[in-house]
Amino acid sequence: MNKSRMTPRQKSELRWGWAFMFPTVLGLLVLNIYPTFRTIYQSFFKTGDFGKGNKFVGFGNYIKLFQGTEIWQAIINTFKYAIVEVPFSIAIALVLAVFLNGKIKGRGIYRTVFFLPMVAAPAAVAMVWRWLYNSEFGLINNIFHLKVNWISDPNLAVYSIAIIGIWSIIGYNMILFISGLQEIPSDYYEASSLDGASGIHQFFNITIPLLSPTIFFVSITRVIGGFMVFDLIYMVMDRDNPALPKTRSLVFLFYQYAFRNQDKGMGAAVVVILLLIIIIITALQMLAQKKWVHYN
Amino acid sequence: MIKKKLLGLALSSMMVLSLAACGGSSGGADKSSAAADSSQSGGEGGKITVAIWDNGQKPGLQEIINDFTAETGYQVDLQVISWDAYWTLLEAGASGGDMPDVFWMHSNESQKYMENDILMDLTDKIKASDKLEMDKFPEDVKELYVSDGKTYAIPKDVDTIALWYNKTMFDEAGLAYPDENWTWDDYYDAAVKLTKPDGSQFGTAMNPSNNQDGWYNIVYSMGGKVISDDKKKSGMDDPNTIKAMEFVDKLRKDAMPDATVMSETGTDVLLQSGKIAMLPQGSWMVAPFKENEYLVANCDVAVLPKDATTGKRVSLYNGLGWAANAGTKNPEAAWKLIEWFSTKDNQEKQAKLGVTMAAYEGVSDLWKNNTDKFNLEPYLTMLNDSDLVIRPHSRATVVWENKNTANLVEAWSNKVSIDEACKKAASDMNELLSQE
Amino acid sequence: MKLNKLLIHVILIMVSITMIVPFAWMALTAFKTVTESTSVNPFTIFPAKWITSNFTEVINNMDFMKLYLNTLLLIVGRVFFAVMTSTIAGYALARLDFPGKTVCFGLVLFQMMVPSQIFIIPQYLMVSKLGMLDTIFALIFPGLVSAFGTFLLRQTFMSLPRDLEEAARIDGCNIGQTFLLIMMPLVRSGMIALGIFTAVFAYKDLMWPMIVNKNVMPLSAALAKMQGQYTNNYPQLMAASLLACIPMIILYLIFQKQFVEGIATSGGKL
Repeated sequence: MNKSRMTPRQKSELRWGWAFMFPTVLGLLVLNIYPTFRTIYQSFFKTGDFGKGNKFVGFGNYIKLFQGTEIWQAIINTFKYAIVEVPFSIAIALVLAVFLNGKIKGRGIYRTVFFLPMVAAPAAVAMVWRWLYNSEFGLINNIFHLKVNWISDPNLAVYSIAIIGIWSIIGYNMILFISGLQEIPSDYYEASSLDGASGIHQFFNITIPLLSPTIFFVSITRVIGGFMVFDLIYMVMDRDNPALPKTRSLVFLFYQYAFRNQDKGMGAAVVVILLLIIIIITALQMLAQKKWVHYN
Repeated sequence: MIKKKLLGLALSSMMVLSLAACGGSSGGADKSSAAADSSQSGGEGGKITVAIWDNGQKPGLQEIINDFTAETGYQVDLQVISWDAYWTLLEAGASGGDMPDVFWMHSNESQKYMENDILMDLTDKIKASDKLEMDKFPEDVKELYVSDGKTYAIPKDVDTIALWYNKTMFDEAGLAYPDENWTWDDYYDAAVKLTKPDGSQFGTAMNPSNNQDGWYNIVYSMGGKVISDDKKKSGMDDPNTIKAMEFVDKLRKDAMPDATVMSETGTDVLLQSGKIAMLPQGSWMVAPFKENEYLVANCDVAVLPKDATTGKRVSLYNGLGWAANAGTKNPEAAWKLIEWFSTKDNQEKQAKLGVTMAAYEGVSDLWKNNTDKFNLEPYLTMLNDSDLVIRPHSRATVVWENKNTANLVEAWSNKVSIDEACKKAASDMNELLSQE
Repeated sequence: MKLNKLLIHVILIMVSITMIVPFAWMALTAFKTVTESTSVNPFTIFPAKWITSNFTEVINNMDFMKLYLNTLLLIVGRVFFAVMTSTIAGYALARLDFPGKTVCFGLVLFQMMVPSQIFIIPQYLMVSKLGMLDTIFALIFPGLVSAFGTFLLRQTFMSLPRDLEEAARIDGCNIGQTFLLIMMPLVRSGMIALGIFTAVFAYKDLMWPMIVNKNVMPLSAALAKMQGQYTNNYPQLMAASLLACIPMIILYLIFQKQFVEGIATSGGKL
């Protein structure tokens, strides 16, 4: 684009745009993008100790990964987790946010209660849920007289962990939705109430469309967050747990290679695979947004 | 209106605080630079930092450090960092950042640090020292911290394994307590007798990851091994190893809770909850166990059984070492502190304060008196009168250890036989060892 | 209508119970002895004797004033930088047209797709080279900018009607003035949401403070350091965790009131 042919308005947008972007772009480049590219670079090396003596192996790490079974299983596990956690946490939080945006008694108390899981220390959360889920002595099995191996049955454990994920993230989604609902002018509702529209009708015809930018944001960030699941699995699943191979996520696998096994190159290759998966899914969401997200 | 005012108040107080933030942080910087000045002007004294990962040992070590400061004038800052953060910090430090001056080394990681000259070479300093008696430290533990003939750390402590048992359950079943005549077959018989058919009580428990404090002891006692002496080959398919693991498997089927219960709950919790009657456990668990009222009321300690065929009673053991940063700004102080920790007096003190058993020969007798709640003598018997086997290790111990655990989990959950699991473990481990 | 309200309350209460049960369990555990806390047989819900020593021990072991101050500085610093940089960048991405915008937005999204563990060591080395280890700055450093926040604010700005800006422009406001006077006040709830998240995540991060700092510790990391390697002192962990929650809950209570205010303002103006 030729500068001289820009209108004053375009020039001003260019100047202000970059001035506004500059701190963030600079910060991201230094703090995050540079380490990310180093990691991508590393994935083509057999890494030595402490970043010294790296040997170039081309796609060696990737070939080794894909020849094994762990990576495939980790991809499946990660998908299973995200498919449960993301939609449920969004749907539940959305309904709660709509309830709590209205004038309802005890609103402040409810909002605070739903926020609680966010501030609990992860180690404490993991410990409590391990007790709740314990097949022999846990509260859930004892109260409902069940005999379910919530976290050691390989077919079930990943979903049990997803439930903890939903529990801890609902408050987060809810806050975002409430803050998004604040931006919807109340006269929209007033007008439709005069027309005699029901609450459910308003929910689908006013709330959802007008909240769609926020819903879009939440689903993008939660899908990414869901694919990054690590802490929960790491703290709930012991090495001795027979269900561990069926719950180990991609980030867990990365952690295992890079930190436990000190093989940074293999770890980096896992990160790149994860990155590619997330980029594809996010790109699909970006394309799909044109169909359902309404911006003013 | 009142609400508005409160809000304004909250906001303005936030502003004040954010202003205070600038003041606060620069104040902090002033303080640290002031501290640095005073340490430099302090003449022979200087400040060094020490990092450890076990908060339980802090009070005892702090006491020993206080004496050091009083004696030498060096200021020492003792820091506790959680295990994960500890190794990330050391790695970051080794990759070009700041490192603590003096810190613990673990055999899982030591090789990598030694080979890359991250640790201070202590060889000549040890030779020149008139305070150290290196021959009093166990050979195997010293070896852990030697690479290419150079010594990089001095042993700090040792640990051994002994058998915890529930006296009440033995009394109830009318069985005699475990003693030094027990063989693993006696152990099996008792475990079966202590297992109640209704599933409310079991003889013992063991997870695949209970290696050093579990099946390793049985494997070595029955003449098997986990890794060859030259550390190039797995011992998991050694006939004696398989024999021992078949014994463990029989024990698991006849006298242990279901594998899922053991993995979800943890063997120490099962002992604390009165679900199991016997559990081999490491000396490092004494400190937390003595805080547990149930264990204090019901449990005691015995030596591990021996094997009837070989006649061997084996305890695995391991020991941490004190190491220093090769690039420390104060090598003199760092070395003096390590030397200080390693003298007979202070090793004795470490044992006496109940921090851990000490590495120095003979001084751990004092450790057993740190509590009268249990009889800790068996741990010392294991240390002094049994066949000690150093925890199997190679350059990348953790990698094959975790692989072994994963392979054994398959047997524990009855997906493959123990025989197959061991052979699979051996071939996986051999492949990993060939890449080291 | 009455029935609807009742139904809503039933749902809300049920969800609340699910939310609270694990928390109540933490609280109950904090009053138990170690023995009781790990005993599964018999399984006890309420402590036989309510003991407070877990709390007193935690409190006596720490210099709470100093820790609270550090925590406050950490939170204020991170929230200040994250909200400031994200709001302006979010506005630029949502409303301004300039070459390179797509790339900037790509960078923002890209950052969120990478597991944060890979940043720790490089960022540590940067702080170390700057000679800023063991300072408040070191604690704040990784949060100087926020990709998450930029994306959040971009979405918030995009949901605002365009005609407001047009009006301001016709009145002769330049872009900076339009942003500061018209647009920024309207995204206050987005900024508050970002502030809450930034505070919570800054507060919960244990690894980073332990690595970069030795003495200047926030509360949560200092509490985490108290865990021994082998001790499963769950009551103390729970007591510490509860104590650590309190400042966050207070902060949240202060800020969530702002949401209520938000309704009045944005509803009234439009």
